[in-house]
Amino acid sequence: MDLGINPDELVTCMQCGLCLTACPTYRITGDETYSPRGRIALMREVQDHGAPLTSEVLDAFDTCIQCRGCEPACPSGVPYGHLIEQTKASLTQQRHPALRSLLLRPLTMPRVLRVGSSALALAQRARLVPPPIARRLGLPARLPIRRPALRSTGNDVQLFTGCVMDAWQREVHLAAKAVLEAAGFGVRVTGDDAPCCGALHLHAGLRDESQRLTDRVTAALDPHVPVLVDSAGCGAHLKEHSGLSVFDIQEFLAQHVDRLPTVKPLDLKVAVQDPCHLRHVQRAHAATRTVLRPFVREIVELDDDGMCCGAGGAYSVLEPEMAGQVRDRKMSSIDRARPDVVASANPGCSMHLAAAGVSTVHPMELIAQALKG
Amino acid sequence: MSDLVSDLRAVLGDRVRVDAAQRALLRRDASVFEGGSAGPVCLCDTTEEVQQVVRIAIAHGRAIVPRGAGTGLAGGAIPLADPVIVSLSRMNRVLEVDTDARIAWVQPGVVNLDLSKHLAPLGFHFAPDPSSQQVCTIGGNVANNSGGPHCLAYGVTNAHILAVEVVLPDGEIAVLGGLDAEPAGYDLRGVFVGGEGMLGIATRVAVRITPNPPAVRTLLLSFATTREAASTVSAVIAAGIVPAAMEVMDQRIVIAVENYVHAGYPTDAGAVLLAEVDGQSGGVDIDAERIANIGREQGATSVHLAEDDNQRALLWKGRKTAFGAVAQVTPNYYLHDTVVPRSQLADVLDQVYEIAERHDLLVMNVFHAGDGNLHPLLLFDAREPGVYDRVHAAGAEIVKASLAAGGVLSGEHGVGIEKQPYMSMLFSDDDLDHQERLRRAFDPACRANPGKVIPEGHSCADIQHLHAVPEGVWG
Repeated sequence: MDLGINPDELVTCMQCGLCLTACPTYRITGDETYSPRGRIALMREVQDHGAPLTSEVLDAFDTCIQCRGCEPACPSGVPYGHLIEQTKASLTQQRHPALRSLLLRPLTMPRVLRVGSSALALAQRARLVPPPIARRLGLPARLPIRRPALRSTGNDVQLFTGCVMDAWQREVHLAAKAVLEAAGFGVRVTGDDAPCCGALHLHAGLRDESQRLTDRVTAALDPHVPVLVDSAGCGAHLKEHSGLSVFDIQEFLAQHVDRLPTVKPLDLKVAVQDPCHLRHVQRAHAATRTVLRPFVREIVELDDDGMCCGAGGAYSVLEPEMAGQVRDRKMSSIDRARPDVVASANPGCSMHLAAAGVSTVHPMELIAQALKG
Repeated sequence: MSDLVSDLRAVLGDRVRVDAAQRALLRRDASVFEGGSAGPVCLCDTTEEVQQVVRIAIAHGRAIVPRGAGTGLAGGAIPLADPVIVSLSRMNRVLEVDTDARIAWVQPGVVNLDLSKHLAPLGFHFAPDPSSQQVCTIGGNVANNSGGPHCLAYGVTNAHILAVEVVLPDGEIAVLGGLDAEPAGYDLRGVFVGGEGMLGIATRVAVRITPNPPAVRTLLLSFATTREAASTVSAVIAAGIVPAAMEVMDQRIVIAVENYVHAGYPTDAGAVLLAEVDGQSGGVDIDAERIANIGREQGATSVHLAEDDNQRALLWKGRKTAFGAVAQVTPNYYLHDTVVPRSQLADVLDQVYEIAERHDLLVMNVFHAGDGNLHPLLLFDAREPGVYDRVHAAGAEIVKASLAAGGVLSGEHGVGIEKQPYMSMLFSDDDLDHQERLRRAFDPACRANPGKVIPEGHSCADIQHLHAVPEGVWG
């Protein structure tokens, strides 16, 4: 089957294998089927040699978390993310694209998402959501019923608020806004003008729909004002697919850290968990430490070289077994570091880790708390 | 195949892969060789499982081929004629570390660099550091007697293996070698290390662990020509210094590497020498200064001392990912591995450039200069018709030139499929027959990784068993 992959991109992989250990699913399985080199070889088998799309082959592609940890490990510069996106897009066209699109529809309708989310929160309080189902859906332990208002205070920077994160974790946006204001920036909150960036749609293989959503964001925002994103996955997507001037919020603040007031640091040992799309795609993870360091007692590094936690956007819902095993590996690393709290700059990672009992927080929340004193 | 598969599944459950596309992934390793063909792939978790898989394969008249990370460069792990693949990558636990005795027992699927990271908090590391160390496994290191930049001072894998538990080709389990300083009897451990999977499968390995040096200095010297860099290497050794590592890269490879790592490699230099000394801080400063002076005498245009561990790590990352980085230039490469006397380095290098030019191929040189271990990379695009003929012809000439200079076939990548046709150039018929007899002592039925190392005519039944090495092995 023609996967529509550009042969010039496919040929860049020379099968050296240096990516293997950077791949979370290879680390778990020890099976090359679940490695970047293996998946690329399977793309070749399917596209160049007519291999049938057996359940084994489909499983190999479906289980890719798209963490892109293989990209920094690859000396040949293979555009793996693009290859797997293309593969998933081609396969999705054959496998219930309408259903996938329908499932992701709420993300594109912010009001519906918030009302639905509040209803779910009430159901949670009334114990109408059985815990196993909540876990399967990756829901936070306590969804918010109401959300505090988030209002613009200027137009020095645009704070991208997104879809699920605004419904479930608005407190992170509030913290980010407070920190930006403490640094003297007037903040425009993007809100419902630009709801979903389209990253999850691209992951699900819905490329055209993803691009429509991204274009909507691009059209709604000012291209001359920095767009700051406090969700690493969305930030990576907007950097690659929108024409906007996009920064991860830590990345932006790291350049202006001298504008933040000096305060008493929080008495906490903080482990920094780098979201894959901050570390491997944006490659801006060093900034998290720069920004956070003055505000906490100690920063401790995890010893797994930035390996994925298994969240992967909707991955933890779609592939719970593999996601759980990948998370177990991360949990061992966290246990060895013995932190008071884990700071993660991506809502998906936070929720996935929190579901396993890890105390997680967004770096912006820590800084905001320290600034409050 | 179905009986075989159901027998294997009775032992391994769902850890047997039979899907054609999945098996196709294991047709290759990191070398250029095509034409392999894998039977069922068995993902083993224990020594006992390996034993049972070997016994089942034998009962069904099938060969076995062990596989770690599949990063070999000589085709040693390429399966010929649908053997049962025994994958050891899941057996990846460090079982025991004894810092007093300086020994660690590890499973064969432990990744080389993972072992050193595991040992780091204890102040130790595993000294052999192949360029693929971020992925290659200890089992693969044992099979190929792998080297690495730091093997100049510390010795190759063989010097760091004390004992190996192996599943022999008949399914028996034996421990070769031992933890005592001088185990009784013949050194069968020494026979097994470098056996390329033809003497059995390592399932547990006792490795020697090395204390981390108190001080390290890393120098980056730039030269106008590769010849000057090579001469510096000889001069350093002649001066009585034994650096931990001395690595040379020519300009073309430096450009590719720097584009990936941004380590500060000078892309305008004709060649660079990366030299490292370790030991006590006073001593390393003296040695670093002496190497810098020798370099300047040989024409170094600049000498740079790595400022900190970060910069040192970045320089080494560049050196160790050099092979992969060439894909920025062409999609395929053929990496050679010969050794020449150090004094001959510069002359043989000139010949390598000349050979490549004559065959209209781009060549890049990166090598373990201290050992005289050459790694010319012939670059090509496999989509170009007839290019394999030129690559193969140029490769053969490079081997001949190295042997003519008094060198040997392989420094550290093994013989595998790649060097098999050249074995007769280095060894007499008598030598090869004796090697075959040694192998038959371990594997009378020639079931373990058949079709490798020993050339046709000296090898036992495996060649008949395979009928012939499949069409297209050479591309």
